[in-house]
Amino acid sequence: MSSRSPGRELAPPAETGVPTGVPTPAGTPVATSPAVPFTRKPAGGGGWRDQFGSLLFLAPAAIWLLAITIYPVVATFRNSLYDETATNYVGLGNYKSVFSTASIIVNFRNNVIWVVVFPFVVTFLGLLFAVLTERIRWSTAFKAIIFMPIVFSATASALIWRTIFDLDPHVGMVNAAVQTASDWVNPPGLYPVNVSAGQTVAALASSGLGPGASGSLQSTSTAAAGDTVELGLIGINAATLQVVGAQTAVPPSPSSGAITGLVYRDFSPSHPTVRGQVFPDEVGLPGLRLTLLRGDGTSVTSTTTDQHGDFRFENVGSGSFQVQIDAKNFQSGFTGIFWLGSQSLTPTSHLSETAQALLSVPLVDLAMIVAYLWMWAGFAMVVIGAGLTSLNRELLEAGRVDGATEGQIFRRITMPLLAPVLVVVLVTMIINVLKIFDIILNMAPGSSQGDASTLALAMYNDGFTGGIHSGLSSALAVILFLLVIPAMVSNLRRIRG
Amino acid sequence: MKPRILTFAIVGGLLLAACGTSNAPTSSSVQGGSVSLWAEWSSGEQAAFTAALTPFESQNGVTVNYSSKGSNIDTVLAAAVAGGAPPDVALIPDPGTLQTLAKQGKITDLTSILGGLSSNYGSAWNTLGSYNGKLYGVWFKGANKNTIWYNPAEFAAASISSPPKTWEELIQDVNTLKAAGVTPFSLCTDVGWPVADFWQNVYLKTAGADKYNALAAHSVKWTDPTVTTAFTTMAQLVGTPSNLAGGLQGSLSNAYPACVDKVFPKAGAQPQAAMVFEGDFVATEITGNSKNYTPGTTGSGGASCTTDPSKTPCYNFFDFPAPSANSANSAAIQGAGDVAVMLKDTPQSEALIKYLAGPDAAAIWAHLGGFASPNKKVPASAYPDPVSKGIAQALVGASSFVFSLDDLQGTWEKNMWQDLLDYLKNPSSSSISSIEATMDQQATAGLGH
Repeated sequence: MSSRSPGRELAPPAETGVPTGVPTPAGTPVATSPAVPFTRKPAGGGGWRDQFGSLLFLAPAAIWLLAITIYPVVATFRNSLYDETATNYVGLGNYKSVFSTASIIVNFRNNVIWVVVFPFVVTFLGLLFAVLTERIRWSTAFKAIIFMPIVFSATASALIWRTIFDLDPHVGMVNAAVQTASDWVNPPGLYPVNVSAGQTVAALASSGLGPGASGSLQSTSTAAAGDTVELGLIGINAATLQVVGAQTAVPPSPSSGAITGLVYRDFSPSHPTVRGQVFPDEVGLPGLRLTLLRGDGTSVTSTTTDQHGDFRFENVGSGSFQVQIDAKNFQSGFTGIFWLGSQSLTPTSHLSETAQALLSVPLVDLAMIVAYLWMWAGFAMVVIGAGLTSLNRELLEAGRVDGATEGQIFRRITMPLLAPVLVVVLVTMIINVLKIFDIILNMAPGSSQGDASTLALAMYNDGFTGGIHSGLSSALAVILFLLVIPAMVSNLRRIRG
Repeated sequence: MKPRILTFAIVGGLLLAACGTSNAPTSSSVQGGSVSLWAEWSSGEQAAFTAALTPFESQNGVTVNYSSKGSNIDTVLAAAVAGGAPPDVALIPDPGTLQTLAKQGKITDLTSILGGLSSNYGSAWNTLGSYNGKLYGVWFKGANKNTIWYNPAEFAAASISSPPKTWEELIQDVNTLKAAGVTPFSLCTDVGWPVADFWQNVYLKTAGADKYNALAAHSVKWTDPTVTTAFTTMAQLVGTPSNLAGGLQGSLSNAYPACVDKVFPKAGAQPQAAMVFEGDFVATEITGNSKNYTPGTTGSGGASCTTDPSKTPCYNFFDFPAPSANSANSAAIQGAGDVAVMLKDTPQSEALIKYLAGPDAAAIWAHLGGFASPNKKVPASAYPDPVSKGIAQALVGASSFVFSLDDLQGTWEKNMWQDLLDYLKNPSSSSISSIEATMDQQATAGLGH
């Protein structure tokens, strides 16, 4: 794991308070502090015997390294030039097919999203927590809480967050929170229609009804004073009927000067496939908000259906009218956002397939980045915190004496002094997310896994699941390796100072 | 020949006696010795299987050395055969392995050993256990993926008295359910294999078993009109999001067995859909959700089925229907199974194979539950409930039996699953033709032809 290099390098200063491993800008007093415990011995000072002795002691580690690091690297390079069974030489064939598949663009894009977003945000959060925890009481407890997620395996974290982001508000915490807020602002109607599940208000219209303005339903024929109107709805389930307390439908009787009518559930248990007829075993739909419309669409008056589904518009006067069942009745309330879905945050649907693959930012990527921040923010905080404790307080004091505000001190003194630590965290995290894998495998549901896949996941899928192709998988591993090299070199240089 | 076979069957349990009268050369009662037997079953299944073998051991004095090899029995067996130390008898879950072993001459031709016993199985099964016209295997256990599970209380809410027999009736029932406000279907399609199982059933029912096997071998192209028919037929059901619990998005976020839970919820929840498709293993999920679920169409104690899982809920299944124009395919079944093959010809292994081909062992396991036999002679009364009986009867009566097509696709199986998911996301006819073209390319690349 990539966590080890900075962790180990920075551990001594955290314990001793002396920044042996933390590179500090030249010229600061600590860099030349006599308390530095290790001084590097000039290499090659001893004779042949000396060298032999050290080589002998190095041998076990060297052989170990050769066996578990160098050999696999070489074998991977070799396999990337061979076919799926690693027996026939195919030259650069695997690389060609890697770059000719459409999914490689998606993999690269996701790697780019991770590398661009995650390391900077996690370093920022780490810095924020480190600076803030320095100043509060109970800072140890706070730090422990922030740091805690790192003790979970990535798989466990992924499963936790998969549940947190679940689509069903009864399961997923995030959707439950959004639902509470949303239903408070926008309460659902008595007969909710779940649009995101493919239901439509128009599909409820069964007899005497058609789609009306903005999500409402409207009677298809016109009525005048003294007429009766029967409006049938389908797709209302038994549980809803219980909730609203629906009772047997009573066909309306005409009344002079008024338009009377009935809204009923057009599903008869005794005649399950017959529509447009009020049977004795059908029920009326209570609580529906209705509006009486003139021919030009302006509203005259409104009413609500009673327990039997009956309604009455009194003294309507002359003219012909239509009855509208208001859209409000069907408002669905919040039914969940598919946080782990592959819908894009950037508007790319009008673009070509390749451009889409290149420019889409699937929502699931962001959800996973949030989960990964939760895992790693504590680590960044601890490393940066260690850097903070080793800062030369005199400089801060001097700044304060000179009248600098806390903000200025942070920007002009703390940040520059901390910069080397921040860069180490940043680069470590870049390496970390370049090979991001386990969180995607375990957190993205199968249906969006293809859109959330990265190079490392593609490497795993080609090499270890289903039909195994070690050549393709190795080629991906080599590409990934080449991508990590710059970050690795930069980190090594910094560590050496 | 017929009357003698019938006598055989009636004698049933007294298989030994039957063996005595058969024309097999070495079958007069074996006494003593041992036989080594490999199969994939472990834990509960192993206990049931060994219980099924107990009468054989006590009647013959033969010790059966059973060894469970888990799900990678194919690999283990291949290694043992190559190493020259195979077991006497093995039960393998893959007809392809049977073909390979028969081709290599590593398993024994059972035609004369079994004699009349082979008529315990329908021709679909004997064909599946044969290589070059000779019978090499006995299909001891079968699994049925031809099952659509439904909540009888939800059907009752829509006044559907009997489950659909044809695809057209299914679509009609779907509309009736929707009119009654019941969401018809629940899918677990966060990954591709459940879509594949579903699609394969539709293909089998519309195109028939011969085409199915040809497509599996890619001698029928994925751009074939029969493939298009299967896609458009399936779209009648899955192409309308309101047919699915949670719509398309909900289906894509459901991991198996979440879709089963939506039809057969745990206590405290209400069903959100009426039907769910998957193989016979769904029954375990349902009864795992609540012990209250009673198989069949009446709740426990004869009460009527309730949607409330804490009262008297029920579960039942109906056979995946074929369109009425393709009714010839209605008894074609997709599934899986375990076939007994003989790797060493000893009197003990012959006796064991004959015992497995008879109804006794299967009847014992059937009674213990979680088992279905394609053997005609296993009495229906051996099954503890109407659902397991129905599953077994479908296996027995199968006009043809095919294995899961995706598992035969090698390296491009994953691509196939992804393509089918893409289809589910957009089942329009223009998308179907481009998906077919992609699939055919991938099949060509993956299978090398």
